[in-house]
Amino acid sequence: MSATGTCEYQPKDYKSDLKPIWCPGCGDFSVVQGIYRALAAIGRPPHEIAFVSGIGCSSRIPGYTTAYGFNSVHGRALPIAQGIKMANPELTVLAAGGDGDGFSIGGGHIAHLIRRNMDITYIVMDNQIYGLTKGQLSPTSQKGRVTCTSRFGSLEEPVNPLLYVLAYGAGFVAQASPTDLVGMAATIEEAIRYPGFAFVNIQSPCVTYGEEAQQIKGLKAISETLASLGHNPADRLAAMDLAQHYGEKLHLGVFYRNPEPPPTYGDLVKERQALLSKDAPPKERILDLFIKK
Amino acid sequence: MRKDLVFGMAGSGGDGIVSAGESLLQAAAAEGYHGVMTKSFGSQIRGGESSCRVRISTDPILNPGGNLDVAVALNWEDFLKFGAELPVSGTTVVIYEAATGIPENQIPLVGVTPLQVIAVPIAEMAKSTAGTERAKNTVVLGLIAGWFGIGAVAVMKGIRKKLAKKGEELVEANQRAFDAGRAFAMEHPLKASMNVVASETKGQTKLITDGNDMCAAAAIFAGCQFFGGYPITPSTEIMQFFTDHVWKYGGSVLQAEDEIAGIGAAVGASFAGKKSMTATSGPGLSLKSEMMGLASIAELPLVIVDVQRGGPSTGLPTKTEQSDLFAACFSAHGDVIRPVLAPTSVADMFRVTIEAFNIAEHYQTPVIVLSDQEIAARKETLDPIDTSAFKIVNRLVPTSAELQDYKRFKQTENHISPISHPGMIGGTYLASGIEHVESGAPTNSGNVHQRMNDKRTKKFEPLKDRKDLFEVAGNPNAPIAMVAWGSIAGVCREALALAQAEGLDVKLLVPYLLYPVAEGVYHDFFTSVQKGLVIEQTHLAQTFKLLRMHIDLPKGLRPLARSGANPFLPSEIVAALKTLVSELQRSHEGNLQPQE
Repeated sequence: MSATGTCEYQPKDYKSDLKPIWCPGCGDFSVVQGIYRALAAIGRPPHEIAFVSGIGCSSRIPGYTTAYGFNSVHGRALPIAQGIKMANPELTVLAAGGDGDGFSIGGGHIAHLIRRNMDITYIVMDNQIYGLTKGQLSPTSQKGRVTCTSRFGSLEEPVNPLLYVLAYGAGFVAQASPTDLVGMAATIEEAIRYPGFAFVNIQSPCVTYGEEAQQIKGLKAISETLASLGHNPADRLAAMDLAQHYGEKLHLGVFYRNPEPPPTYGDLVKERQALLSKDAPPKERILDLFIKK
Repeated sequence: MRKDLVFGMAGSGGDGIVSAGESLLQAAAAEGYHGVMTKSFGSQIRGGESSCRVRISTDPILNPGGNLDVAVALNWEDFLKFGAELPVSGTTVVIYEAATGIPENQIPLVGVTPLQVIAVPIAEMAKSTAGTERAKNTVVLGLIAGWFGIGAVAVMKGIRKKLAKKGEELVEANQRAFDAGRAFAMEHPLKASMNVVASETKGQTKLITDGNDMCAAAAIFAGCQFFGGYPITPSTEIMQFFTDHVWKYGGSVLQAEDEIAGIGAAVGASFAGKKSMTATSGPGLSLKSEMMGLASIAELPLVIVDVQRGGPSTGLPTKTEQSDLFAACFSAHGDVIRPVLAPTSVADMFRVTIEAFNIAEHYQTPVIVLSDQEIAARKETLDPIDTSAFKIVNRLVPTSAELQDYKRFKQTENHISPISHPGMIGGTYLASGIEHVESGAPTNSGNVHQRMNDKRTKKFEPLKDRKDLFEVAGNPNAPIAMVAWGSIAGVCREALALAQAEGLDVKLLVPYLLYPVAEGVYHDFFTSVQKGLVIEQTHLAQTFKLLRMHIDLPKGLRPLARSGANPFLPSEIVAALKTLVSELQRSHEGNLQPQE
């Protein structure tokens, strides 16, 4: 990867010809813009990028880029992304989806990509609702929320995506929002550049089923940049402390960046391959393993 | 003198029964015999019942054998748990532990009088010679060497090699136990000698392996660079082989967080351009079905090995069955064809796995290798395989001209579109589970859906003409037929030979390709058939029903189907064939009656 970034690519080079199916005003329009900008800043050619998603409104996003896209099945963006990364560690691999995709149906995968330190950037467009199926309770919906599957109010506490990934030991954890597109692009760029599993939670309003307080105006009212709070992103405990305010405050920027990133899974795989391939017989002779003299 | 012997041994988990079976198999191989060994356990990890069946022959072996020639019971409670898996008949020599205190004329086998019954103080001999009852299995090997003439030298040579690192003392203790067993046998000769004739191929190189290891080795040979999976009995050894070896060939393996992630990662690796694989058993196949549908619509090559065990659900996790056939053919929703191949032995697992990769790559599709617990866990002696005789197929990649205006799902004459992968300039596209137009862009159009379903199903037509994926044995014009696949095919091959030796005009069809159903091949085969059996280890007669769904079957064809675990015996199949012959004769006689 070109670490310096060049001006060779413009954001528009990452924009495909497909017209998004999103509702007018959907936060995901800003997210895809942020991704175009981040990718242009990094300057990786589109054909060296694999972008995987699951199912949901936001999971349409790979199709709106010129990268190799994979709009897969519900909740399984991460397993597929890690297979791609293991098969070809030279690729830049992005995964994206909604809060339901990532923290409900696919919620079991995140922990394992984190502990493997797969060098994948995972962007969750968190809108606290199931939009594609027309407005049901999501894993990040706040307790008491009234939706078409919770007419009398939700009885469940929401998942806190930031604490969730911090607790599992993610090396890079950040939050962004369409309220600050420049900041979002910079955060995504930093996440992609981080050598290891990177997570970006983006508060992306659902204009059709979202609540008033979760629209741009409401989000602006509760947003604060972590930089303005003087937060040190190398301090994991401070990051966890701040992350507890998920849902009340909208902290923007990098919560945690491991100052000494450990080797990625890909690095370790390469090491093992180098070590074991030295004295390997050709694969045409693999059956010799079964010879009994 | 005998040319063929079937041993069945059972004991408790710690008795070393399986290790004795392995020593016997290796010794037999060293002495030039063909051998097959199967294992069967209870579900307990330690303790519980444990058994193995070892068949040794001067001729190539088609299956693990029917009734036992030699039964060894270290205790009766465990032996009896295996029931019909270890069938004792009037021609069986039964050897059992004298310490059980049961007199020779009162052994707890109901309704059968064995040829000979011998109580042997096995534990006592182990203790007095080796100082520990743990040498019981070595005493048994000595008894076998003495009574049946197998492994007199080779067994101890193997044990010596195996225990070399543990010190001379242990080796000597085992030697004493072995010698004691052998001496006991010499002092108590069998009523009728059952010595096996010497093999003429002594000294030739032989391979010994099981179906799971063979499957993984074949996959790596075929160019598989990625394995994603999750531990599940009885398929786990496939993943274990990958974790030991795939790195050497630039590949990698992921023990995923669950079955879905395992196949998901394999789908991702295939999208990234690498040959990839996953392996599982029944419950895992159920979990993987959504991903299989995804790979089908995204037209991604992928090999899925299903090592069948008894189902549904957890079922019989350590025992063999063929009841995943419907699930293999029809799991995942939607209109879709996924090729299903089945090996019939450890030896042809090599060919079938390579074929699965070739079909997956050529047709850009998931392919299921439908193995079963018996093939997976049974060890076979094999003659060396010439790997250069196997052709390897790789997926069709777009030319630089095609990349100028690349359409991933372009309609072509043979319905197969060149496939790009990340890293290829000009080849970017959207892979998806949603219906898509030729470029890969999502669509809701019914017309496109119809066209794409046409593309994804018609591309398999040439596969049905692959006559080389079927084996026909016996007289091609025979009026009586058998159809069998997987591990049951080997039993039927032996039944065919037995039936022919008795003058029955019978033939056998063994499909290696189970799905899509090759109507033409069956049609040709059934032309001469008036009566026949579809022999299968399923309770619902799934194979028979699958065939009936696609083919107008001869009226006299019927299933011989039952649940797994207990083996089919060649003799019972021959008996069933004889019934068909007499039915046929009766109906002919009936036809000859003058009409009134």
